[in-house]
Amino acid sequence: MNVEIAEATFLEENDVVTLVQIAERSGLSEHELRELIECGAFSPIDVTEWTFSARCVVVARTAYRLREEFALDDTHALAVVLRLMQRIEALETRLREARR
Amino acid sequence: MKYKDYYATLGVERGATEDEIKKAYRKLARKYHPDVSKEADAEEKFKEVGEAYETLKDPEKRAAYDQLGRHSTGEEFRPPPDWQQSFGGAQFSFDDLDLADLFAGLAGRRSRQGPGPIRGADYEAMVRLAFDQAYAGAEIELDLIAVEYDEQGNAKRVPHRLKVRIPPGVVDGQKLRVPGKGGKGLRGGRDGDLYLDISVESHPLYRAEGLDLYMDLPLAPWEAVLGTSVEMPTPGGTVSLKVPPGTRAGQKLRLGGRGLKRPDGTAGHLYANVQIAVPTVVDGRQRELYRQLANASSFNPRAQFEQEAPR
Repeated sequence: MNVEIAEATFLEENDVVTLVQIAERSGLSEHELRELIECGAFSPIDVTEWTFSARCVVVARTAYRLREEFALDDTHALAVVLRLMQRIEALETRLREARR
Repeated sequence: MKYKDYYATLGVERGATEDEIKKAYRKLARKYHPDVSKEADAEEKFKEVGEAYETLKDPEKRAAYDQLGRHSTGEEFRPPPDWQQSFGGAQFSFDDLDLADLFAGLAGRRSRQGPGPIRGADYEAMVRLAFDQAYAGAEIELDLIAVEYDEQGNAKRVPHRLKVRIPPGVVDGQKLRVPGKGGKGLRGGRDGDLYLDISVESHPLYRAEGLDLYMDLPLAPWEAVLGTSVEMPTPGGTVSLKVPPGTRAGQKLRLGGRGLKRPDGTAGHLYANVQIAVPTVVDGRQRELYRQLANASSFNPRAQFEQEAPR
């Protein structure tokens, strides 16, 4: 078995991606992403250029996973689920810290 | 290859409508999805349900599945001889594939038949790091199984090992991207990326919040009053911290730039959270000295009780 070495990189807040790149990396279509943006799931850092923080890729990937895994077909509902997921994650992090 | 009864998995009749299948799946997803379920074997169950739905929700895959005939779950079977021709003509080596691969291959081939390049799929892997690895960076090995397709769209499982260098300064919950290490692209399409979900084990001394680190700094009462100098064990080595006289419990003393560090030069701080520790056992001489101190001092630690108490 040959072993190759690869470098892992940060998904930096200040790395900028386009909607097309988010679509490519998340599995969601550009149309679905626009709907999610309308519902407030995430927003562009530059409204005229429509550029996004690389973190949005993670949000979009979670959205894709949730849509597939729960067979959700309503984008508004998906956006709400995403927001709740983010709150749960934040609370779980706080809880873990408090337990230490 | 072992047969799996996807209809039984979802609890629907073989003649169920697409809508009934979706409803049944949603119900089971709510029950078994690892994000919402507390059942011990939820993840395993959810995988089975997901695999069944993946095939039955797609009319073409469902038709192909129905063509395999009725068997009971776990029964050894081989697809009928004309099955491969009816569904795309690809040659599988059935021995090293399971039923899910068969249908993944079917979908792969269908979407891979169109003209133009196809980008490879993204992969995701969970990586657990010790605190020291997260601080200093690490080289980890991942064993991945890729389902690759040749130009005809035939599926094959390729195990491979990948060494990944994790940069220093990763935090719990962080995602890292390994560009180009996902699934192979087809016809000139870009290879997919590998995403790493990082979790970092807790450390007995340090607690990370972003790039900042927090640690407890217990002081003896006299150290807090008189001030002192403490040798602080930071992740990057021992550092001398000056504790000013009159330091109170709950105050945070900052060691600038002694938190987690990123390769681009950004660094967090290390905060020492002051606690006042008291000895639980004191001998007679010490008790006498404390008594003298109590008599000599007019310090009222609860002055605000008198000011703020309800009247």
